[in-house]
Amino acid sequence: METQIIWWTGTALVAVVLMRGALVGNLKKYPLFYFYIGCVLLKEVVGLLSYRFAPNLYKPLYWPAELATIVASYAVIVEIFRKSLRHNPGIARKAQTLLLGAFALAVSYAATDLLHGRFATATRAIAEVGRDLRYIEGALLLLLLWLFVRYRILLGPNLLGLIIGYSFWVGLNVVNLALLFLPDKEFLALPRRLVPITYVATLTIWCVALWSSRPEPVQPEEGAIERDYDLLAAKTRSILARTSDRFVRAMRP
Amino acid sequence: MTVLVLMTVLGTLIVVFAIRLLVQSGNRRRKPSVTADEYANARQALDSVFIETAIIKRIFSVEDIEFIERSATPVVKCSFLKERKTLALHWFRKTRKRVAQLMDLHLRLASYTYDPNPGFELRLTAKYFTFVVVSNIVLLLLWLLGPFKATRTLSYAIRTAGSFCSTFSFRLERVNPTRLSSGRESLVH
Repeated sequence: METQIIWWTGTALVAVVLMRGALVGNLKKYPLFYFYIGCVLLKEVVGLLSYRFAPNLYKPLYWPAELATIVASYAVIVEIFRKSLRHNPGIARKAQTLLLGAFALAVSYAATDLLHGRFATATRAIAEVGRDLRYIEGALLLLLLWLFVRYRILLGPNLLGLIIGYSFWVGLNVVNLALLFLPDKEFLALPRRLVPITYVATLTIWCVALWSSRPEPVQPEEGAIERDYDLLAAKTRSILARTSDRFVRAMRP
Repeated sequence: MTVLVLMTVLGTLIVVFAIRLLVQSGNRRRKPSVTADEYANARQALDSVFIETAIIKRIFSVEDIEFIERSATPVVKCSFLKERKTLALHWFRKTRKRVAQLMDLHLRLASYTYDPNPGFELRLTAKYFTFVVVSNIVLLLLWLLGPFKATRTLSYAIRTAGSFCSTFSFRLERVNPTRLSSGRESLVH
C-alpha cells in the first residue's frame, strides 16, 4: 500500500512538473530537462500499466527502462552546463575539456569492465551498464558543482532548484546503486526504503522551484568586469604577497 | 566494499556541494554583481588593516610586558594582558576576514575572464590554504598563550608565512611588465 501511494504520488508530481513547465514557459527555457521529465513520465506510466495488467512483463522491463532514463538524464547535465556557464565563457571552455576528459576516462573504464565481466543474464548486464552510467553521471555532476561553488557562479532560482533537486537525486542514487549491487544482501532493506523517499523529495523540489518562471540574475556589464586574467592574477598575487609580508613584519618578535 | 565506500563518498560530496551552492546562491542574490572597482575597494580595506603598522607591532611588543611586570600591580598586569590579547585576536581576525573577502572577489572576477589559468588557480589555492593554516595556528597560539608568550612560539609559523610571502614576491617579479604598462600599473601596487 505504502509503495503504491509513493508510486502514484511520484507519477502525479512528474506530470505536474511537466504541465507547469508547459504552462509557465519553462519548457522552452529548459527543453532538455523537460525531455528527461517526459522520459521519466513515460517510464512510470509504462511501469504502472505493466505492473497492473501484465505483471510478468514488469520485471524484464524494469532495468531496460531504468537504463533508458539514466541515459536520458545525461540531457540534464548538458542543460545545466549550457545554462549556468553561458555568461562565463572562460570557465565554460575549461569545464568542457574537463568534463569530456572525465567522461571519456570513465566510459572507457566502464566499457573495459563490461567487456571482461561475465554476466549470468542480459538483465544483469543492462543493470550493471545502468549503474556504471549513473556513477559517471555522479562524477560529472560533482565536477560541475565544484566549479559552481569555486567560481561563485550566479544562478537563477529556477536553474538553482533544478540543480539542487538533480544533485539530491543523483547523489543518493549513486549510494543506493552501490548498496544494491553488493554481494552481501543484508543492506538491501535500506535502498528499498531510501529510493522512493528520495524520488518523491526530488520531484517536490523540482515542483516548487519550477512552479513559476523566474527571471535570470542580472550579469555585470561588460566594462565593469575584469576580462584580463593575467592582470587580475597579478593583482591578487601582489595583494597576497603584500599581506603576508606585512603580517610577518607585524608579528616578528 | 571499496566501491561502496567510494560511491558513498561521491554521493555525500554531491549532496554537500549542492547544499553549499544553495547557501552561496542565497548570499549572492543579495549582492549579485562584482566589479573591478569592488575588488579595488576590498584591496584598500585590507590595506587599511595594516596602516597602523606601528600600533600593531606595539600589540606584540615584549618591552611593554617587561615594563608592566617591573612596575605594575597583579591586577593591572592581568587587565593589560587581557586587553592586549583581545586586541591581537581582533586584528588577526579582521586581517583573515579581509584576505578571505579578496580571494572570494578574485574567484568571482576570474569566472568572467576569457582565459583563466587552471594551473595558476591551483597554485593560488594551495598558497591561500597555507596562509589559512598558518593563520589558524597563530590564532590558536594567541588565544592559548596570549600575544607575548606566543611571540617566541610563533617564530616557526612566521618563518612558514615568510616563505609563503617570498614565493609570492618571486612570482610577482616574473609577471610580464609589458602586459601591465598600459596605464594600469597603479592597479598592481
